[in-house]
Amino acid sequence: MIELEDLSYTYPNASEPSLKNINLSLEKGKFVALLGSTGAGKTTLSLCLTGLIPQLLEGKLSGRVRVAGKDVGKNAVQTLAKVLGLVLQDPETQIIGRSVEEDTAFGPRNFLVPAKEIEQRIDQSLATVRLTGYNQRLTEELSGGEKQRLAIAGVLAMEPEILVLDEPTSELDPLGRSEIYDTLTDLRRKKNLTILLVDHSTEELMDKVDEVVVLNQGELVWRGIPSDLLRNLPLLRRWGIKPLPVSEVGWEFYEKGWISLAEIPLDISSAESLIRGLLPLYGNRPGHPLDGVKYLGKSHNQVQQHGENLRSKREPNHSEKVLAVEIKDLTYQYNSGKSALRGINLTINSGEFLALIGQNGAGKTTLAKHFNGLLQPTSGEVIIEGMNTLRVDTSELAKTVGYVFQNPDHQIFSATVEKELEFGLKNAGYRGSEMKNRVAEVLEYTGLEPYRSVHPFSLGKGERQVIAVASILVLKPKLLIIDEPTTGSDWTGVQTMMALIEKLHSAGTTIIMISHDMDLVAQYAKRVIVMKDGEITLDGTPQEIFSNEEVLRESFLAAPQLCKLSLQLKDVLGPQFFVKASEFLGMFESGEQRGC
Amino acid sequence: MLEYLPGDTLIHRLDVRTKMLGFAGFLIVSFLFQDPMFQLGIFLSAGLLALWIKIPLRRIWGMMIPLIPIIISIILITGFTFAPERFERDSSQAILFYALPGEGLGATVGGFLMGTTFILRLISMMIVSSVLTLTTSMEDFTQFFQKMKVPAEVVMMLTMAIRFIPTLDKKRRQILEAQKARGTKFKEKGIIGSIRSYLPIMIPLFINSIMMANSLSMAMLNRGYGLTRTWTTLRQLTFNSRDYWTMALIGLGLGMAFYVRFGLQLGVL
Repeated sequence: MIELEDLSYTYPNASEPSLKNINLSLEKGKFVALLGSTGAGKTTLSLCLTGLIPQLLEGKLSGRVRVAGKDVGKNAVQTLAKVLGLVLQDPETQIIGRSVEEDTAFGPRNFLVPAKEIEQRIDQSLATVRLTGYNQRLTEELSGGEKQRLAIAGVLAMEPEILVLDEPTSELDPLGRSEIYDTLTDLRRKKNLTILLVDHSTEELMDKVDEVVVLNQGELVWRGIPSDLLRNLPLLRRWGIKPLPVSEVGWEFYEKGWISLAEIPLDISSAESLIRGLLPLYGNRPGHPLDGVKYLGKSHNQVQQHGENLRSKREPNHSEKVLAVEIKDLTYQYNSGKSALRGINLTINSGEFLALIGQNGAGKTTLAKHFNGLLQPTSGEVIIEGMNTLRVDTSELAKTVGYVFQNPDHQIFSATVEKELEFGLKNAGYRGSEMKNRVAEVLEYTGLEPYRSVHPFSLGKGERQVIAVASILVLKPKLLIIDEPTTGSDWTGVQTMMALIEKLHSAGTTIIMISHDMDLVAQYAKRVIVMKDGEITLDGTPQEIFSNEEVLRESFLAAPQLCKLSLQLKDVLGPQFFVKASEFLGMFESGEQRGC
Repeated sequence: MLEYLPGDTLIHRLDVRTKMLGFAGFLIVSFLFQDPMFQLGIFLSAGLLALWIKIPLRRIWGMMIPLIPIIISIILITGFTFAPERFERDSSQAILFYALPGEGLGATVGGFLMGTTFILRLISMMIVSSVLTLTTSMEDFTQFFQKMKVPAEVVMMLTMAIRFIPTLDKKRRQILEAQKARGTKFKEKGIIGSIRSYLPIMIPLFINSIMMANSLSMAMLNRGYGLTRTWTTLRQLTFNSRDYWTMALIGLGLGMAFYVRFGLQLGVL
């Protein structure tokens, strides 16, 4: 269905090609994932398939692209749209109509499909993406997940034979993501569509796709079945693709020589049986099953100790409790009278690392915006480092509370990175050498030094995200709120960002992180707050939160893979609950010492 | 922004062309008469239409409130600036009082009446145009433009602009919040100061709009826009008997208005 021959492409004004000699052919009816880090050329490749490159975007293109037997070079984008539907990254700019129906009809109308048939197609495609009955709804009122599904419906209404989706889930919450993936699985089953899915997350893809293609720096570096790739951790790391958490545990066992490569688990149940199998073997000298049982009890204590060590390390300055945030009976209502926050009581100590989780619309961002006065309580009060947000202006609070928003492009406006960083300081009244020093310090701290006099928009999204954080850090906030710091970043970008946040946290900054990425929350946060319908439903350590399946399910959240694994191993772990790969290894490390 | 208000009144069901004619009729009648009493009549009939379609009063009221200072200043300005010679009737030429000593800057009765007329006219127009936009879907408007031989590109541009108003407004709010969180103050003094304080909003807004426009153009091509010069019309405009009746009524009303104004010489100041 898709044939690429020696495809190379260089964007106008770019020195390096974005795609280098790509050869690829995909068969009809296959569901293929295209993986790779940011800047690997995934989006560029999908634009080549539709003919948008080179028909809309110029630049240097060589090689041949054939889609469903049509030569992309010789057919207009609009003609190709009949056979290949592309769903772009941002649903917002793909929705053309004001009502759902109007939008879905847009494609077929351009193809002069008769009105009667369009009506049928609208209903059909809306049903496929589970938006039946939404016909008259206004598109601007849809949620993020609904918009994303509408974008898919708009393409489906044109009845293409191939569907290409460019990171369709990057901005969605776990529920929204699973809805998209379910939709794709449905599509594949019912319509026998050829699907090419561009993505950088892997967890949900595992059992759904037939094949994986990996791009790295414009080159096609790997092609095969997903399990082969997901078990090969060094490759994933090299290409900046996030490995499955359970496979990280498995890889460690493999490196120790305990299991073969093919035994690395890719799902929770196989990880569970693997660990159960390994415990008696490597918890003690092999071949002494009785000792193994004894060991089990002992290791238990050691693990417990291990856990306690971790915990005491985690909560430093517990003696000197300083309140960073104090919220009393906070309620907030929109102008429409709809209440967004109801009776929030919350105290956050100085130096905490707190994560706010919950479904889209649960009130996380609304709550966070109260911390720096962007929103004022309808009733109740918010006191930040002794300042009541009702009485202190946001521009004053900005010196104490840093707020990094999800989209860095909403705040970047200077011609160089350096000037962008100076902006906040100028607002706070800094001038001259003190300003320069602070900027230099933060540039160094965040690793932006090489880009000092570069235009921010010439950098990638991941770097712009860091600039956004840096421009807040110059103000040396005591409290840092980060709203979805990793949306749309690849795994490497996520790790850079989290390392930076972790560094700030250990330097004493109070961190409040809003995130949909449960793996990150489990790994980094020390305290987790679950929100649902404007209320706090749960407040505790990641261990406590992620072992409470009931509340998580009610809040439409899912525990990360490793936490689920912990739950499965409850009988072995006893009161212990592990959230990190290293903790699982702790069960064995001590055993190994004994063995030596 | 007033949006389509779904409903099933006669006005909703009328053809968009009939409604446009009615709108024009209101406009003409309103400009025929200067006498506030006549304007009051027009205002009341506009109000009846509005009640008929169950207009969301709260939103209309929200639109009116910011206009109050304008309303007051219009009355004051017309009151003082309309010279007595501009009025035909003696009663209108009467001068109420002088604002300045020595018979300077006189306030005429006619001026104040004229001011009242302006305001009633303004409000009636607001009501009538709201009735029009609230009862007519975007689709109908596009059809109307097409029938009026407006080029398809222009129609597309108009629809898109309307579709993206809320999106851009959301962007603007997000940018405003992001910059506020960095301590931006929006109350700097002087013209330069106030321009400078809006740069942090305007620049990202421009950049974001350009980026959005880029991906929008991709999305449109992707969905076959521009393949042919036309597209499928989903709903054909058709005149019904109710449209003919309404149009006859509009014609009758217009005729009467002209007769009253020019035949009977009523409604002037």
